[in-house]
Amino acid sequence: MRTRVDRIRDVLIGAWAVLAIVYLFIPIFVIVLFSFNDNKGRFNFTWQGFTLRHWKDPFAVEGLSDAMVTSLSIAALCTVISITLGTFVALAIVRYRFVGRGATNTLVFLPLATPEVVLGAALLGWFLTMSFARGFTTVLIAHVMFTLGYVVITIRARLEGMDLHIEEAAQDLGANQMTTIRKVTLPLIAPGIVAAGLLAFAISIDDFVVSNFNAGQTVTFPLFVYGAARQGVPPQVNVMATMLLGLALVLMFVNVAIQRRAARRDAALGPQPARV
Amino acid sequence: MTSDPTGTPKSMIEFLDRLIAGERVSRRSALRRFAAAGLTVGGSSALLAACGGVKGTNEGKTTVDVTKVDHPTKDPVGKVVISNWPLYIDKKVIPGWEKKVGGKLDYIEDYNDNEEFYAKVRQELEAGQPIGRDMVIPTDWMAARWISRGFSEPIDKDNVPNCTANVLPALKSPAFDKNRDFTVPWQSGITAVGYNPKLTGRKLESVNDLFDPKFKGRVTFLTEWRDSAGLVLLAMGKDPVTATKDDYLAAIDKMGEESAKGQIRRFTGNDYAKDLASGNIWACIAWSGDIVQLQPDNPHLEFLVPEQGAMTWSDNMMIPKGAENPYGAETWMNYVYQPPVAAKITEYVNYFCPVKGVKELLIDKSPDLANNQLIFPDEQTLSRLNGYPAFSEADDREITAAMQKVTGA
Amino acid sequence: MSAAQASTTGRAPAGGVRWLTLRRRRALLPAIFVAPGLAWLVVFYAIPIVSQLWVSLQTGNPDDGFAQTYNWSVYPDSLSEYHTHLVRSLGYAGLATILCFVIAFPLAYFIAFKAGRWKSIFLLLIILPFFTSMIVRTVAWQTLLADEGFVVSTLRSLGLLNVLGESGRVLATPQAVIAGITYNFLPFMALPLYASLERMDRGLVEAATDLYASRWTAFRKITLPLAAPGIFAGTLLTFIPAIGDYINAQLLGTPQQYMIGNVIQSQYLNVRDYPVAAALSFIVMVIVLVIIVIAARALGTRRLSEAVAA
Repeated sequence: MRTRVDRIRDVLIGAWAVLAIVYLFIPIFVIVLFSFNDNKGRFNFTWQGFTLRHWKDPFAVEGLSDAMVTSLSIAALCTVISITLGTFVALAIVRYRFVGRGATNTLVFLPLATPEVVLGAALLGWFLTMSFARGFTTVLIAHVMFTLGYVVITIRARLEGMDLHIEEAAQDLGANQMTTIRKVTLPLIAPGIVAAGLLAFAISIDDFVVSNFNAGQTVTFPLFVYGAARQGVPPQVNVMATMLLGLALVLMFVNVAIQRRAARRDAALGPQPARV
Repeated sequence: MTSDPTGTPKSMIEFLDRLIAGERVSRRSALRRFAAAGLTVGGSSALLAACGGVKGTNEGKTTVDVTKVDHPTKDPVGKVVISNWPLYIDKKVIPGWEKKVGGKLDYIEDYNDNEEFYAKVRQELEAGQPIGRDMVIPTDWMAARWISRGFSEPIDKDNVPNCTANVLPALKSPAFDKNRDFTVPWQSGITAVGYNPKLTGRKLESVNDLFDPKFKGRVTFLTEWRDSAGLVLLAMGKDPVTATKDDYLAAIDKMGEESAKGQIRRFTGNDYAKDLASGNIWACIAWSGDIVQLQPDNPHLEFLVPEQGAMTWSDNMMIPKGAENPYGAETWMNYVYQPPVAAKITEYVNYFCPVKGVKELLIDKSPDLANNQLIFPDEQTLSRLNGYPAFSEADDREITAAMQKVTGA
Repeated sequence: MSAAQASTTGRAPAGGVRWLTLRRRRALLPAIFVAPGLAWLVVFYAIPIVSQLWVSLQTGNPDDGFAQTYNWSVYPDSLSEYHTHLVRSLGYAGLATILCFVIAFPLAYFIAFKAGRWKSIFLLLIILPFFTSMIVRTVAWQTLLADEGFVVSTLRSLGLLNVLGESGRVLATPQAVIAGITYNFLPFMALPLYASLERMDRGLVEAATDLYASRWTAFRKITLPLAAPGIFAGTLLTFIPAIGDYINAQLLGTPQQYMIGNVIQSQYLNVRDYPVAAALSFIVMVIVLVIIVIAARALGTRRLSEAVAA
């Protein structure tokens, strides 16, 4: 019963969606393009010809590669800590009724809804009060703090979408609670954990504001770029940003593959829709 | 202050007097000397530079006995960590040092702003903890603050013979560190007006030209009030060294009005350079080396040192208190004070070089550079240069806060 | 998701009883599970936020230190000093949120209902740009919007320069800042919108049109209300972080566009007037909490964070 008006409307919505995606990619295009710019002076914002030299030597800018390594290590550690803490919090929230459950829910949610500048400032104030030296550790602490909420909520969603019968079955077959969690629950929510980990990694590696407050002399990738932005960003920043994009793309495809497999397994186990 | 060796102050008042007024006068005369010496080689004042010998007399809080400094030599020197301003070195000189002394240089370009860097490390310094750096490169006034608070490690002069021998006479004894017991100048520069005559359509002559309504929204000033307000004061006919706090506040007010009108587009750090090269702005308060460096991107750019005067400064190599490898830092100081190495750095950064004999080295190789007024300024340019004022910490804070309001945050 | 939700709750009696007995047996287990994560959030989130209040009531200066004086006047003082920044932040954040919604709703609608097998590709495309650092992206916008840059020269060649008004530029204007915020927060609007549309039962819309409601009426009476949690979540996730944003104002604006985040940032890191900085960030936090409480009242915390979870 599709009318012509409907079709026109669909086309318009489709066009709008494509335009919106294009809008999202305009600066990305600039970033990738200028990683190939043969810039003569110290700036990299007017197109001066094509070159591969920055790609051949992406680590030429010394501080930059160090900053990238710092960022990657913080993001990796943050992801591990965050999903470890977060998985258990999510399990407790979904599978148990306990005193303070509401408060836990709220506390998990609040950092997500706090402006970064407040998070950063509050934490700095706290570290200053405690005379705690800022550096790698404080950045890591901060990143775990504000990624934890995302992790808990993502895993919680997966847990809630899960069929309780499987766990019940395991217990009926004599498995104790810990064994059930280890052998049944965790494997089943693995895709949720992977998604949460990706999210935590992405948020950590992108963070500027909170890091800027709490990094002390530690330099992360965004901090380096911010410092360099005042001077003229070296093209290697574009190269690294593009590489990061490539890495993200790979991780996302891995994630999609895992989700698909999980969805198939879920489908096999029962009529439970997987969450994206 | 109890162990002030130049004579115990008779009273607190007298002491403060000397600290504030005396400091300012001597600072000024030092700068006049700077100008007079003309950065030429072999001024007689060179002889004045006896190494070490005098106890630290820096205002109040320091009681460091700089004669007792002894940083024993090490071979190899091991790892040295330096924080410097971005794009402030030709990294090709680093392997030379590493090879020569058997060191490993961790060269970090995270010194973006004097106050910001200070704020980041202050707590550790106060607690007497190391800040993970063997050398930092603060600007004069910030170096003065570190020294007066006892946050810097004296230099063992025995380890830096090249510095003692090759530092330009004019830079030998700045007021904040009379004998260069704590600092060695890294690079010096001029703060004045950078502009693009193609866009402005005319030659500029004074900082006041930046307030020409035709340039509305095409002008930036520096967030650093010592530079911006200093130049505004010079344009008003005042001496930035002797100007009072109220003079500075008035100059800041003036900039605030122009900013509110939309005449001044932004207040910037180094980021003006990009705006200037790309044509977003037509004229700005700029640092000399930046303009030279920008010319590959935009050959039209010019740098004006107005007749009314301009500001000058140095960024200084300094060892923070608690540094792990002060000897290593000293070998670096000594290394970069060899004229061939200094020449390499000058070729890259294009500020004026504090090391003697560099112009001579460059005259054949790159005459353009050697004859560049912004790198090796002549007598006339030098006579127009002024130093920064020395205010008490409280006044300093008040002015900084006033400027912060104007710069919009 | 809604199906999963329903089935879980639907089974609640049986499952619930079983887990209840488990709970009695192992009352300690949830406590052990929750403790580390909760402790982290209490120590590094709750206490720091509350301690802002403590810091804000101190007086002193960074060189000689600060002492607690319970100087409550810091609040009226900093409000009168910086209320323009605060109002501007709310205004910019509000406008950017509206723009995000206008851009994101059709996009989310398209992905949820029309994209078919391209669905996951589109979702990926929304997220992908955000793996490059926000700073890098904003610097790229700086290049694009520059006075001699791509956008302005395009407008110029189209003879449309007069749309820019008397300044004749895009960069360093309120529009640039708002556009920057819109850009940077777009996914936070698009993804919750998508999630709530996706879990909507399309049958309802079809039923409505079958009952001779016009497409528009069906959209208004069915689609929009059902998407409400997503709209709510998207609005919160865009509006709240945008209030505190300062990168866009700093890189794309002038002091006349600086927001409250710029002030907090510079008071903390440059001026080092910690009490004023703490007071301002506490004020922002209170505003945020008020917004969240209102939202939670309207929607319930559970559904709120659920919508956010998407």
